[in-house]
Amino acid sequence: MTPKRVLADSRAQAVLLLGPAVIIYAVFALYPMVDVVVLSFQKWNGLDPVRQFVGTSNYVDIFTKDPVFWVAFRNTIIWTVLSVIFPPIIGLLLALGLNQPIMGRNTLRAIYYLPVIIAPIAVATMWRWMYDPFFGLFVQVLSAAGLQSWVQDWLGNRDIALYSAFVAHVWQSVGFSMVLFLAGLQGVNRTLVEAARIDGAGRWNVFRFVTLPAIKTTMTIVLVLSIISSLKAFDIVYGLTGGGPAQSTQMLALWAFTQSMQIFDFGRGSAISVVLLLITLAVVVPYLRWTQKREELE
Amino acid sequence: MNVKFNSILLGGLASTMLIGAANAQDLTLWTLNFSSQASNDAMEKIASDFEAANPGVDVEIVTRGTDDHKTALRVAAGSDRGPDIYFSWAGLGLGGEYIKAGLSLPLDTYYDEYKWDEELAPSAASFSRIYEGGRQGVPFTFKGEALYYNKALFEKAGITDLPANYDELVADAEKLKAAGIPAITFGGTVNWHVMRLMDVILESTCGAEKHDALMNMEVSWASESCATDAFVELDKWSQNYILSPFMGIDQAQSFNLFLAGRAAMMLEGDWLVGQLTEAGNIDDYGVFPFPTGTDRLYGFAEYHYISTKSENPDLAAKFLDYFISTPVQQATLGQFSTTSINKNVVYENLRPIDQKWLDIFNDYSEVYMNGDQAFPLDVTTEYFRVINEVASGNTAPADAAALLQTFIDNRS
Repeated sequence: MTPKRVLADSRAQAVLLLGPAVIIYAVFALYPMVDVVVLSFQKWNGLDPVRQFVGTSNYVDIFTKDPVFWVAFRNTIIWTVLSVIFPPIIGLLLALGLNQPIMGRNTLRAIYYLPVIIAPIAVATMWRWMYDPFFGLFVQVLSAAGLQSWVQDWLGNRDIALYSAFVAHVWQSVGFSMVLFLAGLQGVNRTLVEAARIDGAGRWNVFRFVTLPAIKTTMTIVLVLSIISSLKAFDIVYGLTGGGPAQSTQMLALWAFTQSMQIFDFGRGSAISVVLLLITLAVVVPYLRWTQKREELE
Repeated sequence: MNVKFNSILLGGLASTMLIGAANAQDLTLWTLNFSSQASNDAMEKIASDFEAANPGVDVEIVTRGTDDHKTALRVAAGSDRGPDIYFSWAGLGLGGEYIKAGLSLPLDTYYDEYKWDEELAPSAASFSRIYEGGRQGVPFTFKGEALYYNKALFEKAGITDLPANYDELVADAEKLKAAGIPAITFGGTVNWHVMRLMDVILESTCGAEKHDALMNMEVSWASESCATDAFVELDKWSQNYILSPFMGIDQAQSFNLFLAGRAAMMLEGDWLVGQLTEAGNIDDYGVFPFPTGTDRLYGFAEYHYISTKSENPDLAAKFLDYFISTPVQQATLGQFSTTSINKNVVYENLRPIDQKWLDIFNDYSEVYMNGDQAFPLDVTTEYFRVINEVASGNTAPADAAALLQTFIDNRS
């Protein structure tokens, strides 16, 4: 068979075109993922030439002996729950507002979206200064307003540190939800909206019975993306609290990093990563199946 | 044509061999990219001066950020290649890990050959002896840590004499509190800052021998009452004497508060002299060792280690001999650290605080090191956590030592 004939075959073409991407994916995504799973059953400090197989002991250790794992687990769940509530709701409200024909609409859209493009570590630095209990913005504003008693050690008090970090996360991520909802709102059929109005529906009923069903797909996408990004929350917490005080704001992704890259216990770090991966898959797989079914129906 | 080709081939081979010979005189040093440009420049100058004194030798200084440096060393430990000399901290913690992994070459023969002990300050050189299997590394810098104090605030609180023991220090902290002055400042977000207070209190309550045994995990934290006493004292300081709130600020912010006169003391290293000089009037501040009651200075050292992967360990030792020599150390005085690791260096025109530091270094021949240099990394992380739990009032000091011991027990 001549090369020309081989190239004419659609299967050969597919192999040729997909080959490089598959190789790159296998080397840079699949192999590391598999290696992390393998490493989670081994003990390795990055120095020893041999990785020692230890069975499930890394998992037993993180579940039963690690004083921080369950704190990080709980924080990750809290962060995820808050992330599927607040940024999407605020993003939807902003999108509804900025979908109206108001003056400076495009400028406002850009302003609200701006924090999304700032590096999370820069956002963390900025908010850390605002939260400074001696010289920060909040302490200045509250003191000027005579509300000195409201001043808190925002990042140093374990009861509120996680929520303080979450506020910074909301500030940064709300623009992302807003843009997705704005895109979804463009797909709402104007004829249906007008028909509902002619039938006497008020603003709330138009929103409830026309707009909301029309942006249902967008809402699902926003919620799933929010869950995925919040499960792997790392940089903003790292920059704001480093997991402190006393590991009270640790997250699973940050704890996996700490175990692997700061304590150099790659086995434990990998075990935590695998747990995180399984939780993420539990969300992503149903979502993928749902989108697949939807595509088939369409 | 063939003759010409063969000549070129032979010439090429000869050149390759010559290059190979030249490569045999290559020396690579992996170190940190220091925050002070003066340190980086001094390092480069030492390398180029050594090259000039040793024709045919090429010294390459490779600098990295701290975390990149640690990672690169781990990669080097697992491969056949790596630096001839590498920077690391002294102690059983991080520096000790590389030694345990066989990355560092024992240097006993070089210590004897070059008579380094005749040049090195005993306190700085003492860390080379703490490992099993021979002396490891050569001192690069030695940092002492002590209490800096604001003279005006001490005077305002009626403190006329510096405390001679721990009880007097607490009494002075109480006087400061009575005068409305927070005694000391720390930044809690960087775990190692508050840890310093725990380290020095532990030395005070346990004494030298037991403190070392605790840090080496040879005795149980849970059964040593002095460990619990130390946590009780830490709790007392955090509730009464540390400028609050402190868990949400870092060391740099804490330093700014000290400069602003918001607290009377700060537990810092000799490097703070430079920062205080740049920021204000250095004569407003004094320094004294934390009065632990033991004859040991709180501090840590940074070392240069010769790698077991080095193809030129003799040349590496020769370079380190040059590095720590009196003329080189005299010429670079103040560029790596306030004081030199070479005891023959002459200090001239010293300011009172520099002289005080020199006296402190001369007064002590033994040191106890920072907890994060002494413990293995995982225990350090737990040590930080327990300290912060006590300092922020979330864990009863009576339970803290047992918490730490549980973690240590679980490791095995």
